[in-house]
Amino acid sequence: MKILVCAKFVPDTDHLIIKESEGGKAVIGDLSEYRMNRFDEFAVEEAVRIKEQSGGVIVDVLTVGPEPSKDVLRRAMGMGADNGIHLAVRGEQYLSPMVVAAGIADYAREKDYNLILTGAMSEDMMNGQVGPMVASFSGLPCATQVILLRLSSGRRNDQSEENPDASSDWVAVYVEREIEGGNREMLEIDLPAVIAVQTGINEPRYPSLSNLLRANKQEIETIALGGDNSVLKAPEDLVSTIVPPKMRAGRHVEGSAAEKAEQLLLILHDKALIK
Amino acid sequence: MVNKTHTAVIAAHADGRVLSETWDLVAFALQLNGGRPENIEILVLGDNIDRLAEEIAGKSGIDVRAIFCTGLTGYSSEVYLSVLARELEKQADLAYVCAPHNSQGMDYAPALAARFGAACISGVNGIFLEEGTFFFQKDIYGGKIKANMVSHTATTVLTIQSGVFKLDPERQASPGGVVRTDARFAIDRTRFLGVRKGGGDCAGIAEARVVVAAGRGIGELENMEIIHRLAELFPKSAVAGTRIVCDQGWLPYNRQVGVTGMTVAPDLYVACGISGASQHVMGMRGAGFVVAINTDRQAAMFNEADICIVEDITTFIPLLLEIYQQQYNDNAVPQAPGNDTSGG
Ligand SMILES: Cc1cc2nc3c(=O)[nH]c(=O)nc-3n(C[C@H](O)[C@H](O)[C@H](O)COP(=O)(O)OP(=O)(O)OC[C@H]3O[C@@H](n4cnc5c(N)ncnc54)[C@H](O)[C@@H]3O)c2cc1C
Ligand SMILES: Nc1ncnc2c1ncn2[C@@H]1O[C@H](COP(=O)(O)O)[C@@H](O)[C@H]1O
Repeated sequence: MKILVCAKFVPDTDHLIIKESEGGKAVIGDLSEYRMNRFDEFAVEEAVRIKEQSGGVIVDVLTVGPEPSKDVLRRAMGMGADNGIHLAVRGEQYLSPMVVAAGIADYAREKDYNLILTGAMSEDMMNGQVGPMVASFSGLPCATQVILLRLSSGRRNDQSEENPDASSDWVAVYVEREIEGGNREMLEIDLPAVIAVQTGINEPRYPSLSNLLRANKQEIETIALGGDNSVLKAPEDLVSTIVPPKMRAGRHVEGSAAEKAEQLLLILHDKALIK
Repeated sequence: MVNKTHTAVIAAHADGRVLSETWDLVAFALQLNGGRPENIEILVLGDNIDRLAEEIAGKSGIDVRAIFCTGLTGYSSEVYLSVLARELEKQADLAYVCAPHNSQGMDYAPALAARFGAACISGVNGIFLEEGTFFFQKDIYGGKIKANMVSHTATTVLTIQSGVFKLDPERQASPGGVVRTDARFAIDRTRFLGVRKGGGDCAGIAEARVVVAAGRGIGELENMEIIHRLAELFPKSAVAGTRIVCDQGWLPYNRQVGVTGMTVAPDLYVACGISGASQHVMGMRGAGFVVAINTDRQAAMFNEADICIVEDITTFIPLLLEIYQQQYNDNAVPQAPGNDTSGG
């Protein structure tokens, strides 16, 4: 059984500084702090758990991005993934989810992955597109917003006698995907499949020191995105960025912390929200 | 580029009811078409969709293509993808496909775009026209910034954030026509096993007049204590949180506010260490008065707040409680019965 996990290196939004210029145009300041997309931590954890529960599972983790993105592979390997693959792009250009997905699908072709895991969405671009697009390019079934995943063995039982790996029995995956109103859709999907996982599906672990040491020594497979295949042109572009408009009064209370607290209590009192 | 003109709207429905997202999509498509219903068609897929198709054509004033998929109970990505791809391929001048940015549209729209080689822009919450080019706006970086996107392809697939584009309730329109077709489909690789119902018990949050909500900024479970204590200042209050807080186990999931949690409309919503991602904000937009406390002056949550306080919640809330004790506690009244600030 081979699992491919897609993980993205994203800037930490808390520390992102917007330098507002004229006309509400947002100029993004230095993006100094990057980390693994949180949704992808859950995808890596899910793959590593499958590996731990059964023999014969290999977990590859792949990222598309500029050189520093490799950090995300080291972290995933620190969590227990076996191999890292870096589809390298130059600079900080806009990365279309379609181009990323085509690159991932290209890489995965003929590698016989039984399961491809992605996160539900990247925290920086907030698209939620790459998973279903990889599925479409690879001709695989897909489920998104998955909050529970169980591999199920089944019809191909005849093979299990020759092959001692329990994981080779797995022919399908049972998933529950979140839909509106707190409800969940229950599905059984034939493998190979692409599953986009939602946060809360598990509790992602911290990388272990021993795994990190191993990851630091291990070679990371690096391939230029698109390779010799014709590079897909981005079908859309991010042209400019703006500061979102205020939806409410947005009055800032200023002063020392104590002054702010006093003012807030006064406002709430005046509105009869506290006594 | 060829001047394509046709807009397809994919209706959203569940349990035999038209979802409100459908009307939002209609409003968006009309805006895209300068208010004219011509060149728009609404596609409805499903088993028993006669009544749904009539309702949509009647209320929207736009032509509907009812695509009968006999035996299709509910939503299926496999069926939506294959049937929509086949139906939309017939449309030579297809410019836009508008899908809901919900659990259905987010599931099939990107795959449909990949199949068509069409640009896909998801979570669209604004649109403007400049020199003949449409710019589609969407949130990035947790809503801290909006991006203006353009498409380079002849056909563009859009998923539209719900609750942004609103169909004018006063709008007078003669009903659109309904065309019926049958679609053959096969469910090969995904078997639908039903829906597991959840979300029944909402821990009294829906009824609360004041909701004090915690985000990841609270930092650790131990700090939830100050959120509960803050809530105790208010009669008829409840503690809620973001998805991340619930994922961490700091609150049970029945206290999650947002698209995959609850929608609340209290008199007061206090957002503590919440970034303000649209998936959360959509669950609290109806609040009467909003106070946000965040260390990041540029947090998106401040755009949704009446009162903004740039402070560290872990020190500011204890200070606030202390000042309250000193200045207000004298006339504090016993809390109303049924008060729910207990947490989980
Ligand atoms: C399909 C889908 C459905 C979703 N449904 C929901 C939903 O129903 N509800 C929901 O909430 N989310 C939902 N999400 C997740 C959502 O996109 C955000 O990831 C989430 O709301 C962020 O939660 P947060 O604000 O607690 O954390 P973060 O985004 O990490 O923000 C933390 C904030 O705390 C601030 N902060 C940090 N430390 C402090 C401090 N000491 N004092 C004050 N402030 C501090 C930071 O500046 C930051 O603004 C969904 C996502 C997807 C893809
Ligand atoms: N550059 C990337 N490298 C690796 N995986 C990615 C990349 N971009 C997106 N993904 C995967 O696709 C998911 C959805 O991302 P998005 O479509 O950008 O919202 C993420 O959670 C990742 O698993």
